[in-house]
Amino acid sequence: MIALRGKALSAPLEEPLGHTVWKIVDVATANSQRGSRAFVVGEDGEAPEGFDLYLTRSCGPSAGKGEAVLRLPPELDYLSGDDVISVSDDGQRVRVLWRHESRQNSVLLTERCNHYCLMCSQPPKTANDDRLLAEAFELMRLLPRGTSEIGFTGGEPTLYGQGVIDLLRLCRNLHPEAQVHVLSNGTRFADPEFAAAWAGIDNPNMMVGIPIYGAEPARHDYVVQAEGAFNQTIPGILNLAQLRQRIEIRVVLHKLTAPALPEIAEFIARNLPFVYQVALMGLEMIGLARANIPELWIDPTDYADELVEAVTLLDRNRIHTMIYNHQLCLIPRSMWPYTVRSISDWKNEYHPECVECSVKDECGGFFFSAKYKVSEKIKAIPGEAPREPALLEL
Amino acid sequence: MAKFRGPLAFQAPSAEWQLLPFRFERINGKVLVTNLVGEHLFLSAEDFDQLARNELPTDSPLVRRLRAKHVIREGADELPVELLAIKSRTRYRRLAEFTSLHIFVASLRCEHSCPYCQVSRQSSDKGAFDMTWETAALGLESAFRSPSQNIKIEFQGGEPLLNFELIEEVVAAAEVRNASEGKNLGFVIATNLALLDDRVIDFCRAHDVYISTSLDGPADLHNKNRPRPGKNSWELATAGIQRVREELGVDRVSALMTTTRSSLGRVREIIDTYVELGLTSMFLRTLSPYGFAIKTKSFDAYDVDHWLPFYEEGLDYIIELNARGVPMVEQYAALILKKMLTNDDPGYVDLTSPSGIGIGAIVYNYDGDVYASDEGRMLAEMGDKKFRLGNLHQDSYEEIMLSDALLAPLEESFAPSAPMCQDCAFETYCGSDPTYHYATTGDFVGRKPTSGFCRRNMAIFKLLLDRYEGDAGTRALFQTWAGH
Amino acid sequence: MSEHRLSFASSAHSVDAVQRAAYRFSDRLSCDISERPDAVEVIVHLADDTSEPEAVLADFRNEVLDQVLRERIRAETGDVRNLVLALAFSRTGLIDADG
Repeated sequence: MIALRGKALSAPLEEPLGHTVWKIVDVATANSQRGSRAFVVGEDGEAPEGFDLYLTRSCGPSAGKGEAVLRLPPELDYLSGDDVISVSDDGQRVRVLWRHESRQNSVLLTERCNHYCLMCSQPPKTANDDRLLAEAFELMRLLPRGTSEIGFTGGEPTLYGQGVIDLLRLCRNLHPEAQVHVLSNGTRFADPEFAAAWAGIDNPNMMVGIPIYGAEPARHDYVVQAEGAFNQTIPGILNLAQLRQRIEIRVVLHKLTAPALPEIAEFIARNLPFVYQVALMGLEMIGLARANIPELWIDPTDYADELVEAVTLLDRNRIHTMIYNHQLCLIPRSMWPYTVRSISDWKNEYHPECVECSVKDECGGFFFSAKYKVSEKIKAIPGEAPREPALLEL
Repeated sequence: MAKFRGPLAFQAPSAEWQLLPFRFERINGKVLVTNLVGEHLFLSAEDFDQLARNELPTDSPLVRRLRAKHVIREGADELPVELLAIKSRTRYRRLAEFTSLHIFVASLRCEHSCPYCQVSRQSSDKGAFDMTWETAALGLESAFRSPSQNIKIEFQGGEPLLNFELIEEVVAAAEVRNASEGKNLGFVIATNLALLDDRVIDFCRAHDVYISTSLDGPADLHNKNRPRPGKNSWELATAGIQRVREELGVDRVSALMTTTRSSLGRVREIIDTYVELGLTSMFLRTLSPYGFAIKTKSFDAYDVDHWLPFYEEGLDYIIELNARGVPMVEQYAALILKKMLTNDDPGYVDLTSPSGIGIGAIVYNYDGDVYASDEGRMLAEMGDKKFRLGNLHQDSYEEIMLSDALLAPLEESFAPSAPMCQDCAFETYCGSDPTYHYATTGDFVGRKPTSGFCRRNMAIFKLLLDRYEGDAGTRALFQTWAGH
Repeated sequence: MSEHRLSFASSAHSVDAVQRAAYRFSDRLSCDISERPDAVEVIVHLADDTSEPEAVLADFRNEVLDQVLRERIRAETGDVRNLVLALAFSRTGLIDADG
């Protein structure tokens, strides 16, 4: 798993850095520009002059003396030109905001949330973290033109109200071609004014992903640990639909939601048929999910029937449906065409069983597993035996 | 984890459940419940009792199912009302569309002499039974007066190809007119294909005209149903279907069957005939009441009971074919399933309420008489002009569309207010069919307990729901049909 | 024709419910319905060739109960039904504009 934050091995600064968001350049990407850029020193030790910050790799050559130099921890050695990081004023803490090689960058806007989902992968905090929003503004300005996908996540980004609207408008203006995806629990859109402000961003490439965990309030509210959530989220979705906004419905599958999946699919098809797509997500055993394993864990093979039923129903209702984070060996083959291969950074940590698997390159499962709970039924899919070439007696 | 609250914290604070409008029907020990817009669920008798006695707990799987399907709500919930309103609005949007199918009876003459056909004439007198251009021009004027954005012009007969010149003229004039109107304009010729020739093929290709034909099943059955000189109706029809498929495209021809008593017991052969011809859709039609001694009640019930096994066997065979990978849609089931499983209403004339007569389709007879439905025209040919709305030569569009002959049956037969329909769990799937009820009982509503229409459709609804609940494969197939 | 007398307590059964049940069963039986102060009296006429007349009468009694329930549903949900329909036809479409 790729580290997205780390502590500098050393950061002998003469004075505080003064600003936090830095675009990384290296020998290949450096030009005459210097502002807000940090130069990462390569194997050759070459370091052009004039940067406010130099980064060196954990075991790499040092930069020149007398300048602000930060030595990266080993887990952040991968950073290279066009990545964007945020650095604390004292140079000690480094957070990766953008990795140019990833197509799944998601920008964390806040860790605060008005829900407390049983399986949250990003456990909510209460401290003020407005700086994350400020960094996101800065990031938008540093991203190259032509950036193809930008994701925003939380916490609950809409807690900022107008702040997040402003950010997304900036994003649209600077990166009109980018596919923009925002994760939200949708409750804020129940306020028609906020929904209208959202639509006012006027970005046809923007989609909001909103989770639904039941076809009625009791189950949904329990999963998100917030009373009245369902009765806000659904009106929020209706408000957005009326304004012709693109909506994705997300359902994280676990013991509380998977058995109700056909009902949820039916509810979507009948009540929310206008949604752009539905994403069915495998449970990631991280964050709060690990604290709630007894309540949440279900082997994916135990909801195979419900999965097929729901996907078929959505598909027949012409609702684009995708399955994320599922090992192919755990779901019926008829579901494979709906799976989305996560372009995952974690692939190098295969489950032992997967080594021999013939479809591991197409697999949407994640495998950083030894430490976490995974199905005991993971099983290599044997390859087709290579066919003997036909012989022709000449 | 003390931080998390258990499921009990999120159930309804009190068991003060309010009923939302729903209807029910007991079927084989279970209870079918349908909500205001026709979403259904089956409950066990015990579960239904809990609902009926107002003894639902604050939360349970049953409570969650009932809430999800908008059968009950917690006192303060406004969301179910909002969602039901959206779904209702979607179901009724067809009303705003108004007449889109305009049937032109190009000629009453026919070279077939089918015994069940009430309208066609064996005559060589073009003047007496062909539609004139003057009449057709008035029909076209009326068609373009309809507020609908979609206009489909269908030529019927008799055998409309006997007056092919008129078809050519109407199509040409409609296209000229539409150049400024910009509607979605389509053409269909309903023909037995016996007179299909190069000129017709070339014309249909040039003007995107679709062909609708009749195919009753295997040769002996079809030829018995449809006598013509040469006794070769089936040979001509199947050759014609093949020719249209090859020269115009497989999607350009569809076939309809007429079910007669001779068809009963032969449904598999009939379906096989369609499969053999590469057709992927068929309509297992009911025995037509028109042309029989229809005003005797006993006939009606008797025939439905004979027809139902025919339909059930056919439907199951079609399901089986699909499971084997042979694509075939049963259109009547598909129409009903769309109403059952989606918020859409296909607007099929027999299965709409308000009735689709005049709204879904309108018929311009060869002599300029206007009828609210094809069945209304047939009734007229049998001597009862109850559904004659007026005449193109004498009456204006407004006079025709606001005539008592149209408004009275529409109003009187509106199913949500008809006796028994009002409380019927299948009402949203069904229709009012005032023409049928008038033909069989003399009034637009009829008496549902003895209505063949009611008995037949109730049986089909139950059959479809039974197969839908039965297995996942059929469920997926039905969802595909509903999505068409 | 055989005649059978049934009696439904007025406290729990309306004439309307009994009439609706009778209408629904009119392909199987015919009825004379009269209202007494404390009961709705029904004389059911069954054709002589009715097989299992007791079963038909039991079904009819159950149907009356179902009609009582339907009456209650109609009464309890009349307002919300009107509210739904008023909402449905009062606003512009959500789903229908472009599908």
